[in-house]
Parts: sequence; structure tokens; C-alpha cells
Amino acid sequence: MPSLSTTVSKVMEICNSPTTSPNDLNRVISLDPVLTGRVLQLINSAYYSMVNRTTTLTRAIVMLGINTVKNLALSTSVLESLSVKKSFQALSMDNFWMHSICVGVTARSIAAIKRIPVTDREEYFVAGLLHDLGKIPLNNLFPKEYVHAMEWAELQQVPLYRAENSIFEVDHCTVGGMIAEKWVLNETITDSLFYHHKPVEVREKNRQFVAIVALANTYTNFLEVGSSGDRFPEDAQATHLLEQVGISWSALLDLRETVLDEIEKARIFLQLTQKG
Amino acid sequence: MKVKFWGVRGSIPCPGPYTIKYGGNTACIELRFEDSDRLIIIDAGSGIRELGNYMMANDLPNGPIKTEIFLTHTHWDHIMGFPFFKPGYVQGTKLKIYGPVSYEDDSLENVVGGQLTYRYFPVRQAELASEIEYINLKENRFDLGEGITLTTKYLNHPVLCLGYRFEYRDKVFCTAYDTEPFQNVFCTDHDDPSYNEAMAHEGDQAARTENQRVEEFIAGADLLIYDAQYTQKEYESTRIGWGHSSCEYAIAAAKRAGAKRLAMFHHDPVRTDDQIDELTEKYCSRDHTGDTDIFFAREGMEIEL
Repeated sequence: MPSLSTTVSKVMEICNSPTTSPNDLNRVISLDPVLTGRVLQLINSAYYSMVNRTTTLTRAIVMLGINTVKNLALSTSVLESLSVKKSFQALSMDNFWMHSICVGVTARSIAAIKRIPVTDREEYFVAGLLHDLGKIPLNNLFPKEYVHAMEWAELQQVPLYRAENSIFEVDHCTVGGMIAEKWVLNETITDSLFYHHKPVEVREKNRQFVAIVALANTYTNFLEVGSSGDRFPEDAQATHLLEQVGISWSALLDLRETVLDEIEKARIFLQLTQKG
Repeated sequence: MKVKFWGVRGSIPCPGPYTIKYGGNTACIELRFEDSDRLIIIDAGSGIRELGNYMMANDLPNGPIKTEIFLTHTHWDHIMGFPFFKPGYVQGTKLKIYGPVSYEDDSLENVVGGQLTYRYFPVRQAELASEIEYINLKENRFDLGEGITLTTKYLNHPVLCLGYRFEYRDKVFCTAYDTEPFQNVFCTDHDDPSYNEAMAHEGDQAARTENQRVEEFIAGADLLIYDAQYTQKEYESTRIGWGHSSCEYAIAAAKRAGAKRLAMFHHDPVRTDDQIDELTEKYCSRDHTGDTDIFFAREGMEIEL
């Protein structure tokens, strides 16, 4: 699983600096879906027993200390960034990153509207950020077939996961869910990866959580912020999600400014580095 | 249980005229159990050399030595005595060495046994006559057999570090070093441009939960050995983030957790006997300590639980 090179140079800059602030470290890792997943995986599988799963980077940094997390991030991103450019063939890496960030930011904003406590909102961001993780290995390992799947979705005007199923006999939800299980991510995040295209099938206790992530995904596709190759979401699902979450479409539209603003801030934060 | 201190010093051995009373060897604790020949050693600092010599004279005549060494972490002052542990050179000795290792590092065998390579030492690990097994530990609860249970807990130190809680026949012996209180490391200044409300809140909550978990871990200990390398003033001046606690924090935590006896441990290498005596007067008088018996650990000290 390569890390996204959109963020790698910033990760290296921040992690190599002896004076890095915990805030910057947290921020830079949390802007990279693969890196966030990997750091949580390493913490949960290598360090901690199943009972005490860590679901947010903030907690991980307090528990393990800034140096350990810095080393984790550095070794993960540097080792795996080397061949990333050419491996992103069907999906554009920058667009995929934008899409993932937008779903994360939107899910967190919806959680705020739903008055979910500040300290729990981070998990919505992480779930949104990671929701399409399953596309990365499909796209990297089978680039030709993935281009084909994207063309098929375009031609038939169907969601990409249906096209994936007809070509690979597996979709990014299943692959993402498998990665989440292997990485020992917690149940709500794992369910978000598995069920964000089939939110009615998820277990009752995670239904609201997954619905918020799925709605954030639908909304991001509607806004066309970045792209993860999904241009034809299912309309019926959108209506159902609005009902399930208990929010109006106009309230979502009001989020537009905030969401775009946050993405812009993330972009500036990452680009500052690439110059330096 | 019977506990004996073979090394109480932190960071580096510091023999000399100013450390005669409390001792200059780094961490090593011997733990024995009544009605059992089980021997557990915590940490292999320079103090383990003398313990090894004692075992050669007193345990070996009764048959081959079998012992378990629990390393709290792999910083040098906690493993440096291992090459000088004589039973390791004796045919028939069986050693089990437990400890935590960060994922990116080498195995426990390389980290600890790696001291026995020609560049550092004239004997290689492969040349040791004893049988050594290395076992990686995480946070968990273990049944060690013979009615002994062990609970481990991650502490706050710049490298993975475990506290150990041994329970045997209703008695609890607990170590919590090297550690300092968990902190909210995130920016809490609203005016700082990097301030983030969620991070600040969660950092605060995480630090509080983790400190609470450490206190649950040490709760009700009959003997608690706690990191007390600094005074609060020293700690706050420049040493936050170094992974050690102050005497004041150790005392407060032990009292909150209802520990019956607190041994303050991992003395700073610059701390002289006179200074420790002064601190004893200041912190360990009965009117100060309430129900908890508080003292500074001394090399050679034995405590029966």
C-alpha cells in the first residue's frame, strides 16, 4: 500500500525536523488516508492488545509520544512512496486525495451539525478519509483492468463499485473492509469501508455512523471535489441517507464554503513544504 | 513475596564516595516467592552482576539455575549488566528474557544479546553456555503458573516501557518506572495559529485517561516501586518529556492509588546520599505520608510482603 505522494514530502519535512510540533505532526499524517490507516494499524497490532484499540491519531500521539509516531510515519511513508507515481494509473492521485479529504471533512462537519461531541468527531474524519482505501490496491495492482472498470461505469452510467464487481468479482468496499480488518482498525471504521455503498446492510449500532460517511461521499461526488472515479451515484440512496441522518439537502449545501475552505487550508499546508 | 533491590540508580552507574549509602548500580530487582523456588528478576542494569554472583554462591549448589528476567524496557541502563551476569555462562542454566520492543527495532534477542558482540565485549552471545529464550511482551495479563499472575501496562517513556504487577497469595508487587505523567502535547493556546479545538480537547482527555489507567494498574499495591528521578522543581525546569517523574508526583499517585508502601526509585545519578537523606526528611515523615509508607529505595534493601 503506497502512501500518497501528495503528502509525502511534507511528512518527511515535518518528521525530519527535531522541533516538529505535535499539532503539525497530527495534521500532516491525518491528511494522508494510507498513512493514517498504517499508523493506526501499527499502533493497534504491533503495540496494543485488541481491547484497547486506538482510533485517533491524537490519542496515539499522547500515548506513544511524538517521536514514536514520527518514526512510524517516516518509515511508512518513505519506504512506500518510491514507486507511487507510476502505480497510480487509472485514478489520479491528486484527485483521489482531494476526494478523500473532502469526504473526511464533510463527515466531520455533519457530525458537528448532529451535535456529536467534539472529541468523537475525529473518528468521522478518519472514516471519511479512509472510506475508499480499497481502490488503491485494485488501481495499483490491476491498472489496465481498473481503467476498464472506470470506462464501463462511465458507459453504463452506474456506480463504480458495480463496474468493479463485474470485472474483478470484488469491489473496493470488500477490499477496503479486508484491509481494515487486517490493519485492526476499529469496528465503526471497518464498517464504513465495507458498507458505504450499502449503508442499509450494516449492523444497527453503526448505521448512523456509516450513513454519515456515505452521505459525505455522495455529497463530495455531487460537488465534484476531486474524484475517485465515481460519477454516477445512486439517487435513491441519497434520499435514504438524508432521512437516516436526519438532515436536509439545503443544510448540506450550506456546508460547501466551510468544506472547501478546509480543503484549501490543507492544500496550502502541504504545498508550503514542497517549496521548502 | 520477597523483594530485594540490587540496583536503584537511573541512567548510569555512579559509584563513589557520595553514593555509598543508597548505591550506584542501575536497576535490578530480585523477586522470590514463599514455598516456591521460582526466581524472577526485574531489569538487568549493572546491579544484576552482584545478584548473579549471589546466585552462583547460593542457588547453583542446589541445582541448575532457572530464572526469568523481565526487562521494563531496553534503554541501556536497564540491560547493561546482562553480559556480566555469571549464571549465563554456566551449562544447564535456563533463562527466559521478557521485554517490550518497538516494532521498527530489532528483535529483543538482538537488542539485549547484541551487547555480546566482539565490538563491545570479548564474548559472543552464541558462546554462552546457558539456554536463553527471548519473549516479546505487550500490554496484557498473564498466568505465570504456581499461582503467580502478571499484568503489564505501557508507561510514558521515550521508548516502549512496561510496568509490571505481580500478584501472589493476595499480595501485590508493582513496578512503574521509567515513566512520567502523560501530557496533553497539543497546543492549548487559543491565540496560536496552529490551535485546534478538537486536538486540544482530545489530547487533554487522552492524557487524563492514561494517567487514570496507570493509577488503576498500581491500585492497592502492597509494594509499589515508582520512578522518582527528579524533584518537581527539577522536572518543571527542563526535564518535561524526558520520561521520568518527580518525587512529588510519585507520592501523590501512590496515595491516590492506595498503595501501602512506596519505594521511590531510579535516583538521578547526580543525587548524593546527603541529598536523598534531605529529601527523605522532607517527604517521608509519617505526618506527610498518611497511610502510605514512603521511602527512597536503597541498594541491598530487602522487603517482605
